[in-house]
Amino acid sequence: MTITQSSSQSAYSSAPTAAQVESACRFPVLFLAFSGGAWLFAGLTLAALASVQLYNPTFLEGCPWVTYGRLRPAAVNALTYGFALQSAFALALWFIARLGRVELSSPLGLAVAAKFWNVGVTVGVLGILAGDASGHDLLEFPLYASLPLIASYVCIAAWALLALHRRAEREMYVSLWFVGAGLLWFPWIFATAQSLLLGWQVTGVVQAVVAGWFGQNLLQIVLTGSALAVLFYFVPKIVNRPLANPGLTRAGFWLLLLIGGWGGLAQLASVPAWIPAVSGAANFLVLVPVASLLVSLWQTVDGKVVEAWRANVTFRFLLVAAGLLLLSVLRTAFLGGQSTQYTFFATARTDIVLLGVFGLSALGALLHIVPRLTTGEDELPSVGLTDLVFWTSLLGVVGVAAGYSLAGLVQADVNMNVTRDFLKDGIVASAERWMELNLSAFGYLKLVTAGYAALTVAALAFLANFGLAVRRCFVACCGGAR
Amino acid sequence: MAPQLQLGALAPGPLPNSTEVYPPTRPGLAAQGAEVYRSLGCAQCHTRAVRQTQALYGARLNEVGNSPNTLLLPGLGGSDPKPVNLDLLLALATIRPDLTIAPLPLPPALVGDTNIVARLKQFADNVALLKRNDTKVGINRPTSGPSVNDLAGKLPAAVFERVSIEAGERAVKYLSDAGAKAELTFYNLGPDIERGWGARRTVAQDYVNDSPVLLGSVRVGPDLASLATRAPEKFAAPWKFASTNTAAEFERHLLVHLYNPRVLAKDSTCPSAGYLFNKQKPEIRAAGEPLTVPGTDAPVFPKHEARALVAYLLTQRVDTGVAEAPVPSAPKAVPAAAPKAPMKP
Ligand code: HEC
Repeated sequence: MTITQSSSQSAYSSAPTAAQVESACRFPVLFLAFSGGAWLFAGLTLAALASVQLYNPTFLEGCPWVTYGRLRPAAVNALTYGFALQSAFALALWFIARLGRVELSSPLGLAVAAKFWNVGVTVGVLGILAGDASGHDLLEFPLYASLPLIASYVCIAAWALLALHRRAEREMYVSLWFVGAGLLWFPWIFATAQSLLLGWQVTGVVQAVVAGWFGQNLLQIVLTGSALAVLFYFVPKIVNRPLANPGLTRAGFWLLLLIGGWGGLAQLASVPAWIPAVSGAANFLVLVPVASLLVSLWQTVDGKVVEAWRANVTFRFLLVAAGLLLLSVLRTAFLGGQSTQYTFFATARTDIVLLGVFGLSALGALLHIVPRLTTGEDELPSVGLTDLVFWTSLLGVVGVAAGYSLAGLVQADVNMNVTRDFLKDGIVASAERWMELNLSAFGYLKLVTAGYAALTVAALAFLANFGLAVRRCFVACCGGAR
Repeated sequence: MAPQLQLGALAPGPLPNSTEVYPPTRPGLAAQGAEVYRSLGCAQCHTRAVRQTQALYGARLNEVGNSPNTLLLPGLGGSDPKPVNLDLLLALATIRPDLTIAPLPLPPALVGDTNIVARLKQFADNVALLKRNDTKVGINRPTSGPSVNDLAGKLPAAVFERVSIEAGERAVKYLSDAGAKAELTFYNLGPDIERGWGARRTVAQDYVNDSPVLLGSVRVGPDLASLATRAPEKFAAPWKFASTNTAAEFERHLLVHLYNPRVLAKDSTCPSAGYLFNKQKPEIRAAGEPLTVPGTDAPVFPKHEARALVAYLLTQRVDTGVAEAPVPSAPKAVPAAAPKAPMKP
């Protein structure tokens, strides 16, 4: 394992050139990235519609397909499997190709596997809307959708790991550690959870334990790991410095794998008390690896934050994502116990990780990767659209995170005090209050809807810019310029 | 790391002192209702888990009992002579320094009974001694107000409520030593329980018959773990029984809630499940009772799914005690057995 991104080609005469590497991974990476963006748009639309029903229950009333209880899980699972995991695959393939300097073999086959993934997600989302949700958080897809997902994943991961094995650049840079860990981690947790829940159907609350364990590993190790791969690839590159503290980074990586999966059950009730206790402790311990990884990045940047922010749009995304990562582990550690149990505060955590930590990192990375794989330029065709993506996604994530968290604190207050009236102090207040003011037009839950709407705009702007780049590329290709 | 290794073999278990197992299996209609509950995603807004923050204890006096100092004194508490356990009165006075001790006058009819005269004299001396002791340790016993005699006169009596287990056990020991029958009681406490959402915390055992287990993770609406035992005034939108057929009324209330929650609570954000109801009387013979929704004229006909969902909700009850989460027993009605003749020394 090494801690510098090798850029010298001379040592490996047989290694493919950067252009060969890029052309081999172009099709599957672009396909996965574009589909991911499309699911981001679809999932956010569903999430926005669902959130309206939290304060306006007659919205979309009368049709079971779009009732809150189905829209919300459909949205979360579309965002998780359609956007997050799919974009994570795109990033994984690109990092392996790029950092390992290896040509992906038969990229077309890979794209077929990716197509299957999308079929699986579509079937799953429709299944949830039709009423076949499994009932387990983050694992709501019915079995008939999970099977194509597993099959497709096996192909994508096998391809990726084979490519990793054949890499010309033998030393593995930090980003590849995270990518490799994620590729191996996901099948383990997904297959374990699905076989225990839908296959064996373990008894009683063990199901909730399994689902909680899966969700935590997915968010904190697979997706956060993917975001960290992005951070460790781009930050040194953008500030043009080698990684400052390799030892700390390595320690952070291993500790995250060791500790990261243990949290997530801290708010589970009706299970033996030691389970939430251990989980709560893990939520604190995980501060150590996250802090060491972020410190290592901070030392790498070494005061060039403002400069890099001005110069590079990807860096802006990454800075916000890193801040959200710190925020999400801090809030879970300090407020993620009994006091906020059963409130939107916990919902906010899923959204922060999915859309903030992972989502912003992925968008930032793709704004760098997509133009290179299409037009060959450094940026996407429309600078205006790129700026729009940044600002709307930033505002959106902040709106969703703050809206859910504040509504969660209102609920927590009602949960803990019997004197509070459930309807008036809880439900009406979380929809119509802003700090101490009563603003029926702009309560916390309405902020959530606004956040999802802003993020939807971001997804659309990203897709439009992506489309422009692809079009330009086609025009260029047909003109024989490339 | 491997959640499958724990709790995996949990099964319905026998209830203490009973031939039944807990939890009981759901009847067929309720089992179908569980599927409707899952399919409509009710768990996205409703948890099914009662929390408990604390358990406190108490002491309950059930019977005056017999001690060498139990006397039958006429003229106290009605015309019939009632047994008075002098040791118990002293014990109560010792553990409850906030109560007065009423003097026991010698009934005129018993003036000649030397045995009783001597015991009452002894009692008065003991009371005096206790009071002197009070002053010594700085207890300011009130001189008027409720007395230990009142407390012992109306059984079963809560001698202590919501105290530590040590205080409860100490009280039970004092009372038993005085020959009375007393038991340790306990109180499950916490906002959920005080809201009337269940009698105790939920535990793993409660869910062994559920698959999938829909614990829920957000409480947009109230907890539903023990909906079937909920008192009407404990609903988020309180209501009242209008007749004595409470079971039928409860079921109807839930059906109306499913049809349109805003008929019952203006601010409710619970989604209406109007699609589980027919507007026209269906052709099938088993159409069932029509449902009259308050504020509308035409009755609606609940579909099978609606009935199943309500049947499922009506199986939601957390009122059976299990070993790790007991439920307080209601005070037993004390048999008004005639006391035996006062013991002869
Ligand atoms: C959008 C969130 C949401 C969903 C989804 C939801 N509910 Fe509700 N539910 C609420 C709220 C808020 C209340 C409190 C207001 C009221 O009593 O109507 C409530 C109240 C209830 C009550 C009355 C409980 C009490 O103590 O007052 C019942 C019963 C109920 N819901 C059943 C269901 C069922 C069955 C489903 C699934 C079909 C469901 N709910 C889906 C939000 C929701």
